[in-house]
Amino acid sequence: MPSMPVGLSRDLPPKRVMRASVGGQDIVVWRASNGDIAAWDNRCPHRGMALSHGFVRGNALACLYHGWHYEQSGRCSYIPAHPDLDPPATIHTTRFGVTERDGVIWVDTTDTAKPGMLTEPLDPLRSLIAEVSEAAVEAACHSTPFEGEMPQPSGSGLYALGTIRLALLTNPLGPNRTQVTVLTSPGLSLQTRLALSRWCETLRRNAEATGTGGA
Amino acid sequence: MSHFTLYTYVLSASCYKVRLMAALLGVPYDSVAVNFYPGFEHRSEAMLALNPWGTLPILRAGDLVLTETQAMLGWLATNHDPTGRWYPAADPALGPQVLQWLGLAARLTGSAGLARLHAILDWPVDGEAVRKAALKDLQELELLLTDRVLAGQTWLVGDHPTIADIACFPHAALSPDAGLEHDGFPAIRNWLYAVRSLPGFVTMPGIHELHELREREPADPQ
Ligand SMILES: N[C@H](CCC(=O)N[C@@H](CS)C(=O)NCC(=O)O)C(=O)O
Ligand code: FES
Repeated sequence: MPSMPVGLSRDLPPKRVMRASVGGQDIVVWRASNGDIAAWDNRCPHRGMALSHGFVRGNALACLYHGWHYEQSGRCSYIPAHPDLDPPATIHTTRFGVTERDGVIWVDTTDTAKPGMLTEPLDPLRSLIAEVSEAAVEAACHSTPFEGEMPQPSGSGLYALGTIRLALLTNPLGPNRTQVTVLTSPGLSLQTRLALSRWCETLRRNAEATGTGGA
Repeated sequence: MSHFTLYTYVLSASCYKVRLMAALLGVPYDSVAVNFYPGFEHRSEAMLALNPWGTLPILRAGDLVLTETQAMLGWLATNHDPTGRWYPAADPALGPQVLQWLGLAARLTGSAGLARLHAILDWPVDGEAVRKAALKDLQELELLLTDRVLAGQTWLVGDHPTIADIACFPHAALSPDAGLEHDGFPAIRNWLYAVRSLPGFVTMPGIHELHELREREPADPQ
């Protein structure tokens, strides 16, 4: 599986934790105080608690359950019940490849993350989840006009909306659930960005009305 | 000195809304615990005499009795926030926006609030219908908060938290109780975090404090 877009860099500031999913794998993505990012299997090596409920302490992620700390390498660095113990190197999380490019967080569950497939510089707009298949999202994108212009596909998830360039990156979360990350040409006015954010909403509604998951 | 009496129930998100606002403004009050569930004491004759609507919370300050949480937040801010920033009622731009959000907060109470009561107390409502309505309300909240993020802002209105944020916070924060996770709502997530970071923030079951702010290790650069 190639690298998948799991969210925007701007939506994960330092010392914050979020949950993501790639190919059915439940993932915790977190950013240390120093800005470094890591993506792991969302299970604490101790008793399996979801690490996405955890919190960041300096440059380590602490599990909410018994407070074990894991540093960015995935290695357990501190066990509160045994404060004097140097935890053995065998205690570590399952790590995945993660990179940030074009303001997007990309995770690869199989390999070191290869940067995303964007071929031109774009600005992140927003990321959202539609309760429909990936195909339904793409189909709706071909038929949801923005200010009278129908999006013209130009390959690899890129579209032209009049003079605006737009990338629609999809990450299938299930047969009827798709994470959509939207990027646009850089330097657009705030007004245009707000209008495009609403266009994303229309796109979702159209996809959900026609897609398999539609009401 | 106590400034009011709050009739309250520990698991109620609506009651928590008022406790949170009072805590953020540092307003002391007396609590009367009402056995909402399983006692349904809020529907007893004595309670209906105080609040014919049969809802919680109820705020009493002298002769004044308030039964709508949005009004309670307005009362707290008007009487106990000398800075006037929590409820800029007279500001021609900000005032109406706050009122708009108070209306949306009432919608959230009727969707996310009911979906949660259905999930945790088996409240007799159409669970699927309220959950659907709640999802839609959260999607609209996410859209409007994304507007704020794109404009470089943190709060719902202006550049300071207002009663609008507090009015919407509890039901949005507790939506996972009804199976409505925040994974697809990054703007909501970051706004919830900002509210939880406010000085004086208090918790309720399901909304815990930020551990990262509580105890700091020496190694922590902040
Ligand atoms: N007056 C509403 C009431 C809030 C509300 O819905 N409270 C719930 C408990 S969280 C309630 O009292 N329900 C009464 C009942 O259904 O018996 C408000 O101020 O938002
Ligand atoms: S399950 Fe994570 S520390 Fe115990």
